[in-house]
Amino acid sequence: MNRKTAFIAALFGVLAFAAPAQAARVEVQWWHAMSGVLGDRLNELVEKFNASQDKYTVVAVAKGNYDEVTNGVIAAYRAKRPPEMVQIAERGYMTMLLSGAIVPVQELMDQKGYKIDWPDFIKPVASFWSYKGRMSAMPFNSSTPIFWYNKEHFRKAGFDKPADTWQELEAQLYAIKAKGVSECGSVLPGDFYWSLLENYSAINNQPYGTLANGFDGLGTEFVYNKTKVVSQVARLKKWLDDGVLQIAGQGFSPEQLFTSGRCSTFVNSTASHGNIERNAKIEWGATFLPHENDVNPPLNSTIGGGAIWVLKGHTPERYDAVAAFLDFVAQPETQVWWHGATGYVPATNKAYGLARERGYYKDHPTREIAVLQLSRGTPSENSRGFRFGNFVQTMLAQRTEVEAVFTGQKQPQQAMDDAVKRGNEILRQFEKLNAGKDTEADGKSK
Amino acid sequence: MNAGSPIVLSEASAAPVAQPSGLTRTQHAPPGGAVVGRGAMPPRPGRAQTTKRGRPDREPGLKRANFGHGPGLPTLLLLPQFLILVFFFFIPSLRALMQSVLLSDPFGNNVQFVWFDNFKALFANGEYRQSIVTTLWFTVAQNVITLAVGVVLAFATDRVVRARSVYRTVILLPYAIAPAIAGILWAFLFNPVVGPLAHMLHALGIGWDPNRNPSDALWLVIMAASWKHICYNYIFLAVGLLAVPASLMEAAAVDGAGPIRRFFLIALPMLGPTVFFLAVMNFIYGFFETFAIIDAVTHGGPAGATNILVYKVYVDGFVNLDLGSSAAQSVLLMSFALICTLLQFRYFDHKVNYGV
Repeated sequence: MNRKTAFIAALFGVLAFAAPAQAARVEVQWWHAMSGVLGDRLNELVEKFNASQDKYTVVAVAKGNYDEVTNGVIAAYRAKRPPEMVQIAERGYMTMLLSGAIVPVQELMDQKGYKIDWPDFIKPVASFWSYKGRMSAMPFNSSTPIFWYNKEHFRKAGFDKPADTWQELEAQLYAIKAKGVSECGSVLPGDFYWSLLENYSAINNQPYGTLANGFDGLGTEFVYNKTKVVSQVARLKKWLDDGVLQIAGQGFSPEQLFTSGRCSTFVNSTASHGNIERNAKIEWGATFLPHENDVNPPLNSTIGGGAIWVLKGHTPERYDAVAAFLDFVAQPETQVWWHGATGYVPATNKAYGLARERGYYKDHPTREIAVLQLSRGTPSENSRGFRFGNFVQTMLAQRTEVEAVFTGQKQPQQAMDDAVKRGNEILRQFEKLNAGKDTEADGKSK
Repeated sequence: MNAGSPIVLSEASAAPVAQPSGLTRTQHAPPGGAVVGRGAMPPRPGRAQTTKRGRPDREPGLKRANFGHGPGLPTLLLLPQFLILVFFFFIPSLRALMQSVLLSDPFGNNVQFVWFDNFKALFANGEYRQSIVTTLWFTVAQNVITLAVGVVLAFATDRVVRARSVYRTVILLPYAIAPAIAGILWAFLFNPVVGPLAHMLHALGIGWDPNRNPSDALWLVIMAASWKHICYNYIFLAVGLLAVPASLMEAAAVDGAGPIRRFFLIALPMLGPTVFFLAVMNFIYGFFETFAIIDAVTHGGPAGATNILVYKVYVDGFVNLDLGSSAAQSVLLMSFALICTLLQFRYFDHKVNYGV
């Protein structure tokens, strides 16, 4: 009895001493979608921030994949208990921007007196996440697709490395199969719409939608049924029919078909560096995505990945914490560390310079490909990025139509016509819902 | 049909043994629910007769509990169930109804009332019509396969003597596996690149490829969904078979009927209520509970070939964030399920022999 009382007294004593220290730290939540190795790295990043100062604590909460995080934050917002920060994928940009639920990041940082060197962000990154020249969300995990290949397969088939153009690459892949080096020249990535259609359009300077791919207004319409995308889909179909390209299908990831040495090449995000370095039993290399032989010079690719959005409805102290954390994220040191730890690109030129200076790319040459590819040439209207409302929905409609080509139900031209038609209906719905929002957001950010 | 048999157990004594059919009766039979004999074709006189002979009248206290006076205790006892219904059925249904006539952004800051635009858009949408057809194929095929295999397994384990409980346990195992896991399992086994069963099919000269062949994909999800649900059917059918009076079977055996003949002429008709109940439950399962399997096995593809209604509701609502359309779809889906169930009752219920 006595011991118990003493214990309770001691407990209260500890709490009484601990409480002031606890109360002094402002706690904010950050919901994210990183899992596995990436999730561990993200937690390390947050710990670094928490240890670097004694005023704020960021709590990172894994909420599942991007879709689940989005749904989680929507539900929380509707219940009036949103987190302070949330990581949202690139396709959700317009939904978040016009949601009326966010505080634009640049506005917050200005208000809190942080000087961020915004023009220093790598162009495709900056243009993707900014609206009317001002950053709406803090770029966090930016990636771009690159071309991975099995060095041994190419050597056995008599090639130094993959060719630069789709035409020559096709000849190489057919040769690899014909010579019996590998049954599977390439494996279709799960997000082929991103790498092989959207980024393909950017690199080859093909318009995807009107009004500069949506950058100039909500009235944008898809036009990729009138561009090289149609012949790209036809090419994929031909490769599939000839067994040069394989679909991994459900229950098995395309990446495994590459890392196990079954498929000779693989188009995938630079962010898979961590996984491939760990899992690959093959001698792998990586290079730039191929381009069409009549396109010279090829343009930059565009980004994928996520950014950190700040949500409305919190107290000023909490926004102090958020601003401090975002400032930490934007620091070149943080960027370089994150780049090395994950394979995502450094978001600023300064960070990229720092990594170069330290000779990081001498040991990790493939990590530089994404940065070089993203900042290659001068971005055109076709390569700045994509700004379509309901972009997940239009993408799924497009994927269904491309699959109809793969199954042989539709010809590429017809499928792309149908995809554009369906996509435009979805865009009109977004436009209808957000009619008048364009100028409203404009006024707010100015 | 066997009402004339002198050794038929009385209803009251059959009920506790025949759990599942008893369940059927209380859940789905008309009030007072029992002996609608096969001969009693016009349902109304049959039902009147039932009420007259209903057990409560004969054996007061057996079914109707005595709660004393006043509505207090019964209300209290009903409350949990009522609250569950309110929070998990009525409120969500109402919200779905309301959402189905709105165009709204996911955060709910921007809402427009659009009358029935969401419904109109659905019926004008070829993809949605395709989804209805796919759902019907999927559900009917799944229903037939599940019942058929369930009946065969129940019959088989009823006949084996040695290690019967081992067989039963093994058959019941899939029920303990989460649908998503089951889906991944099937997807992997039949993956055309790495799946061992797919390789067997290839070796047999079958060009199996659910990634590029819509009907292969549809079959794959039908098989996976059925496999997952056979155990459920099996439990009810196995117990139902136990309730078939041994004396009847023996009599038939003495008369020279073989096991197959006995099964089709005696056991199966007596399983009628169970089969009917399971058919309804399988429809509901196919309509509502299969989305995890679809998600794991095909993602609704290729080209929408396995995009059944409930999966489309999920994708449009939780991936595409098109809440209005998703709500309209769930309202329609609920109506379809209701119509199907009512039709089943309308056309099959009075053909089922509830008497033993």
